[in-house]
Amino acid sequence: MSENFNIDDISNLASIELSEEEKAKLQKDLQIILEHVDALKNIDVKDEKIDIHPLSKVLELRKDESKESLKHEDAMMNSPETKDGHFVVPPSIE
Amino acid sequence: MAEKIPSISKINELFQNKEMKPSELFEQVYETASYTESVLHAHLELFYDEGLKLSKESDKRYKKNESLGLLDGIPIAIKDNINIYGYKTTCSSKMLSNYVSPYDATVVTSLKKAGTIFTGKTNLDEFAMGSSTENSAYGPTKNPWNPDFVPGGSSGGSAAVVSAGSAVASLGSDTGGSIRQPASFCGVVGFKPTYGTVSRYGLIAFASSLDQIGPITNTVDDTRIIFNEIQGYDSKDATSITPVYTKLENKKIKVGILKELMQEGVSNESQNEVNKVVNQLREKGHDVTEISLPLTEMALSVYYLIAPAECSANLSRFDGVRYGIREDASTSYEMMNKTRSVGFGEEVKKRILLGTYALSAGYFDEYYGRALKVRSKIITDFKTAFDKVDFILSPTTPTPAFGFGEKTKNPLEMYLSDLCTIPANLAGLPAISIPTGLSENNLPLSVQIMGKPCSDYSLIDFAESIEEMVEFNSSPNLLKENSES
Amino acid sequence: MNLKATIGMETHVELDTKSKMFCSCEVVETDEPNISVCPTCLGLPGALPVPNKTAIQYIVMLSLGANCKITNEGMFHRKNYFYPDLPKNYQISQFDFPVGVNGSLEIVLDEELHSVEIERVHMEEDTGKSVHMGSGRIDSATSTLLDFNRSGVPLVEVVTKPVISTSKMAVAYIEELRQLVIDLGISKGKLEKGNLRFDANISVANEDSNELGTKVEIKNMNSLKSLEKAIDYEIMRQSKQIKKGESVIQETRHWDENKQVTISMRTKEGSADYRYFSDPDLPNMIIDEEFINNSKKNIQNLPTDKRKTLKESGLSLSDSNYLDKGDKWLYDLYLSTVENTKDSKSTFNFLTGELQGQMRKAEIDELPDWVDSEKISNLINLFETNEVSFTSAKDILAKLLGEDIDPKTYATDNNLIQSSDDEEIKTLVTSVIKENQDIVERLEDPEDKLVGFLVGQVMKSSVNKVNPGSVKDILLKELFG
Repeated sequence: MSENFNIDDISNLASIELSEEEKAKLQKDLQIILEHVDALKNIDVKDEKIDIHPLSKVLELRKDESKESLKHEDAMMNSPETKDGHFVVPPSIE
Repeated sequence: MAEKIPSISKINELFQNKEMKPSELFEQVYETASYTESVLHAHLELFYDEGLKLSKESDKRYKKNESLGLLDGIPIAIKDNINIYGYKTTCSSKMLSNYVSPYDATVVTSLKKAGTIFTGKTNLDEFAMGSSTENSAYGPTKNPWNPDFVPGGSSGGSAAVVSAGSAVASLGSDTGGSIRQPASFCGVVGFKPTYGTVSRYGLIAFASSLDQIGPITNTVDDTRIIFNEIQGYDSKDATSITPVYTKLENKKIKVGILKELMQEGVSNESQNEVNKVVNQLREKGHDVTEISLPLTEMALSVYYLIAPAECSANLSRFDGVRYGIREDASTSYEMMNKTRSVGFGEEVKKRILLGTYALSAGYFDEYYGRALKVRSKIITDFKTAFDKVDFILSPTTPTPAFGFGEKTKNPLEMYLSDLCTIPANLAGLPAISIPTGLSENNLPLSVQIMGKPCSDYSLIDFAESIEEMVEFNSSPNLLKENSES
Repeated sequence: MNLKATIGMETHVELDTKSKMFCSCEVVETDEPNISVCPTCLGLPGALPVPNKTAIQYIVMLSLGANCKITNEGMFHRKNYFYPDLPKNYQISQFDFPVGVNGSLEIVLDEELHSVEIERVHMEEDTGKSVHMGSGRIDSATSTLLDFNRSGVPLVEVVTKPVISTSKMAVAYIEELRQLVIDLGISKGKLEKGNLRFDANISVANEDSNELGTKVEIKNMNSLKSLEKAIDYEIMRQSKQIKKGESVIQETRHWDENKQVTISMRTKEGSADYRYFSDPDLPNMIIDEEFINNSKKNIQNLPTDKRKTLKESGLSLSDSNYLDKGDKWLYDLYLSTVENTKDSKSTFNFLTGELQGQMRKAEIDELPDWVDSEKISNLINLFETNEVSFTSAKDILAKLLGEDIDPKTYATDNNLIQSSDDEEIKTLVTSVIKENQDIVERLEDPEDKLVGFLVGQVMKSSVNKVNPGSVKDILLKELFG
């Protein structure tokens, strides 16, 4: 495992605020897991191709047709805050 | 008054012959639930009113001899990471404690069309991350065979309800063993179909390239019936395939025993079940050989990079903006950070962070990129193996069910309980777990059979022949105690 | 120290499809929020993306139109970042395998052709729209309203290599790209609607240096005018800093339209780490020869083709460039008109000067259907052969835009035909000379301004029907021999 592992950077990227206690526990657990997966480094993978689908399926494209969308009420029914048909969040500009 | 629920075919016969009505069966499983739930906590929500209403509609169809098929009127439980329109889908997470789905998953649409009655939503490890259902934000589910033990996970609720008789069957989802491992712990049949045969549309994604929905049932035939209903191409899922199922030509079946899953790390009890089945297979004249796929020893490491990486992005959408819980804050970013901090449990956070790290600049090639390539090699190895054998036999789990809190200290110990099930997910293979016997302390043990891609039906046929061979007829204590009382 | 600027453009083009990129929601233009949204484009749990075939075809067409090499086996990537109007908090995009690579666009600057190299053409999906509520100032918002109708609308991003050297060249490039997507029929191409949105990467370095200077990204330029001004401002700002011996900071800056300056955008600590990885919901995409050939079938008469045809008709490069960027009907009208008039310059001038001018004044967007190239070429021929004056021609055009008239008949009926009959003019000239003896005596040479006055008198006595050129000729002959 890399010594550059920085739990603050990672939680920042993942947008999850962590308490100091959580950080300590997670850091320890992640260390254990990363040490375990280090075993992969011994495997030669030079010429291996990456396939997204385990069965190498090729993507099928959808015909450009518009179909019925969600009813507006259904789209909004889980919204924590609503105004004039919009979802409302605290300001997204700093 | 609990009695072991008959198979779906048998129930259908009773319905057709007017010896039982769907609403009577529904009342029976609901009654079972009403006393098992207080102990097991397998359902998160029961749909009594709508279930009764729908089962009465089913009554009418049978009365008029217009039944919709084998699944008409059959009470089935749905894992709470599969969306049903108008009902909560919580993924056992605080994050989605208030989330009501505005749409049906494709499998739900299929089952509704078949006349299935939903008993309710079942408990799971939060966002399907775990192997014991201890990670549910709503409390753990207990094992019907012994409430001191875990039911397995993540589909612990779905396995427990079938085992306890509070549903005839259930749907689970399997990313690294989440159907097969709890089915094994609870002494029922669990099937993970070939990747792409069952639509993932409406299944809340954990790791998209590994997730598959599948049935958990009392019998292999029940599995066949449900799989038959939910499989097939879905234009809403780009990873969905148009399956061309393979058939078995020979009566003499070639079975491989995977050496890497019959060694240290797998208990003698689990290995013995395999050996027991092997002996019986040989007696029947089948060809059993040992095979070796050394890279399966890397499967756990590959899985614990790929699954967290995919989940780190899949779970980004839970941010408090459009649905789910929200924590107050003065900016959007702060709101999202706090909401995700409060909404996710520890295991989910751990995996998101692990995946975020594996994908981050400078580490991608070392971790995620490498894992994908090793996965490719594993897939190729299985392909080669299936040129020689029809099926691969192994234990489903390294041990029978473990106790609560037994594996929560060290993450690796918990992860190792998926040792035998993960390879099938990595390679997209169909794999089934069937109960074969009981452990020393009276907990179920199972074997797992893996097949080549799209061999689902022949795999089910083969599993059925093993089911007949081993004659596993035990049922959990919970049922016995209550039926005696 | 001589400095040079290097500019690379990143342009997002909104594709004109019926449905969105990854779901079947209709692409709508409406103020009513959140009415064309579904589980997929709202990022609801469990929803999955399925790509739009037409959108992919459009991206292939644009790649071909920009002379790119097509990537036959591609994949989609997730670009991860948290933003409230990005529903999944990742955008499905392309990273390693864009649809098109290594292309070029031919552009015209004044009378010269230039080639702008294209690095890549790839698919993206649009975000939702954020409206910031508060006291009206962007930096004092109290809440943000979100509308996801735009979420998931297909976009294609076109990235140039850093090969543009001036703001004018950048503008010419955007104009060319805009015309290309319009002629391909893949986008409405309206800048004011945000169908094309562009960012500029600008660096300034010593003219002799082989290395580029520090790159600064400029965002928020909503028109070609602001693009030109923002680039000019930024080049000036960076040049000043370099000349003062200060170093330019690598950053993203915002063009402030009100203050006409670029402003540094505050960025979070640590640069963005998008954690691109292949989207496991979308298998590898194969773009085979058949798909490419089908896409090719829909490609015809691109700006470069039009420019070639226009040049062959006799127009200059810049006039050709002007017409190939215009409306399709104007281009067609020009070509069919010039076939009759055989005079490219005068046809071009009349159409782009008079016709477009009058239509703009009269606020007519489309040519009335009775106005065809026959009538227009007849009209051009009328004043080119001096049968009517240019002033009359303009009047006839105005009339023609209002009602269906035949220019020649109209000119005849309204006494607009000029006489070129020398005898008639001679009679008029003789009598004007006689009536204006005092002026004739003051004339010194043929260039005298008073000649014009006398020509005017002749025209007046003819009620404007005579050709002023002929009048002048005959008058001078009478006076000076």
